[in-house]
Amino acid sequence: MKMEAAIRVMDISKTFNLSRKQQKIEQTKSKIKVAVDGLSFDAYPNEIYGLLGPNGAGKTTTLRCISTLIKPDKGDIMVQGKSVMRDSDGVRQAIGFLTSDMKLEEFFTPNYLFDYFSKLHGVIDSVASKRKQALFQKFGIDRFQEVKVGELSSGMRQKTQLVISLVHDPDVIIFDEPTNGLDVLTAKVVTDYLIELKNAGKTIIVSTHIFSLVEKICDRVGIILNGKLKATGCLEELIEKGDTLEEYFFRLAREEAGDNQ
Amino acid sequence: MKNIWTIFKKEWDRVIHDRRLVISVMLLPGLMIFLIYSFMGGAIESFTTEDAVNVAILNNTTGFEAIYEVAENPEIIQIQPITDTETASYRELVDQEEWHLVIEFSPDFDLYSGGVNKPSVTLYYNPNDPDSSSIFARFQGYLITYQNSLAYELYGDTRYFILETTFTPVDPNQMMGLIFSSLLPMLTIMFLFSGAMSIGPESIAGEKERGTIATLLVTPVKRSHIAIGKVLSLSVLSLMSSLSSFIGIIVSLPKMLAYENLDVSIYGVGDYLMLLLVLFSTVFVIVGIISILSAYAKNLKEAGTLITLIYLVVIIVSITSFFSQGAQNNSLLYLIPIYNSVQTMTAILSFDPAVVTYLLITFASNLLYTIIFIFILNQMFESERIMFAK
Repeated sequence: MKMEAAIRVMDISKTFNLSRKQQKIEQTKSKIKVAVDGLSFDAYPNEIYGLLGPNGAGKTTTLRCISTLIKPDKGDIMVQGKSVMRDSDGVRQAIGFLTSDMKLEEFFTPNYLFDYFSKLHGVIDSVASKRKQALFQKFGIDRFQEVKVGELSSGMRQKTQLVISLVHDPDVIIFDEPTNGLDVLTAKVVTDYLIELKNAGKTIIVSTHIFSLVEKICDRVGIILNGKLKATGCLEELIEKGDTLEEYFFRLAREEAGDNQ
Repeated sequence: MKNIWTIFKKEWDRVIHDRRLVISVMLLPGLMIFLIYSFMGGAIESFTTEDAVNVAILNNTTGFEAIYEVAENPEIIQIQPITDTETASYRELVDQEEWHLVIEFSPDFDLYSGGVNKPSVTLYYNPNDPDSSSIFARFQGYLITYQNSLAYELYGDTRYFILETTFTPVDPNQMMGLIFSSLLPMLTIMFLFSGAMSIGPESIAGEKERGTIATLLVTPVKRSHIAIGKVLSLSVLSLMSSLSSFIGIIVSLPKMLAYENLDVSIYGVGDYLMLLLVLFSTVFVIVGIISILSAYAKNLKEAGTLITLIYLVVIIVSITSFFSQGAQNNSLLYLIPIYNSVQTMTAILSFDPAVVTYLLITFASNLLYTIIFIFILNQMFESERIMFAK
């Protein structure tokens, strides 16, 4: 029997208004840009689901819709049975979201910010304290916990951001481009930790344009082009023998380009 | 030359192609000046719109009547001819601020033909009552004109009559109250706004600019709680900043005015509590306005531009206390935010008898504005277009 999906993305669409300048760049007369167009997929506990696509395909928009920062124009998303349209507070309780757009106040220390966000998530002090100790130790933040975020190295800052997004030990983790801008050592720590979280029963969605990352950590993948989901499933199911994910992706991209011409 | 043009064009494009910048730099200042001048025009008109003028005259003469009738508005002036026996009771009315002026011409005033015993004119007014003082000044002027006109008929000593002035004993507290009430409200509101202005934009526009607001918005905290939390903390900080300014003003005012007798002990605990209530309710209104502008602005710079324009309006509104004599007595005016605080503080400091009514209207309306502002801020936090505007 298949496990119940922790995230159900159901036929969502999202459009943005285009300025005249953007219309020129996009070479279109339409004032509306369709960022996500009828997208549907599920993600389950104990798995890492990868959203693979080029820049501007709609990956970040989809993740922002799941994390309730923006609302889809059409469709709905259920996160552990809670709707992003009707119970956004409930959804936010269940998720940890991390994207490069989300920054930490540089004036404060990792220690202060961990406590601050723990309180906002309603984590009991004793639990927060234990969790802080464990996570800070794991990512080597403990030595820098009283240094202001503004004075941390960029790698340490990103690790702090990751830790802070997980203060409430969420069951669902959404990660936009998890290794972007990280040095190889930090990237390895992060990807290893994502696998650890998956093994602990968490549901994880990552977006990326890096094929090797998908091949390395994702159990299932959704390929997204021009806001549409072109394919979804296990890598073994999607790719024919002797083929690589990269070759499969470019074949889909060529088909999509052909369709649009 | 080409480089100069290239740099010129880039700087030009940076402003002209940014619609919001064009609005805030090119259009808003003109609009604000229009609004400010219209407001000032209205305010000046309201200052010059006179209330009733009540003057009681004993033994009035046709010559004097001819002079003041030219200058005074016949619709508002009320001249009451009185008899000798009534003068004392009218003087009492002046003392109680229920009548403005008593003018007493000596008997047989018109019959003087240059003898030693000159007739006299005695003016009686109340220096504690600003209206009485200003009407006294006008009528004193008419009497001097009258004196000059009569001088043509005389030889030698050209003074036809002796002009005497008597008045209600000056209440020093009331006089000091008038001095305080013309300065303190203006300075307090200006300091209150500038205090809030220096910390407000950082809290919302700064968080938007640095991308930290998204980190906050992805937590399960209700948007209304974020709005209330921010407004509350900014209000307390602004209040502390303005209290420091307020104490500074009170301590330095006697020195600043070179008036050593100016003593703040004329105000009781009740007066200070009322002032605190006004300050407390005003700070929420000010922080509410600044928070909404900060949430609307894309970055700190835009927030600064928008808030400075509002600051100009606040300065103009605060200055009204400097020009007005005492507080406005139209209760409806106490519904206008900021202006109500300035006027209520003026009423408290000048011992206005209707101060409690003004305070209640001001406090209640400010509370209502604060609730409205927090509701708007909550809606803005919900709006992805505003929160993630690039």
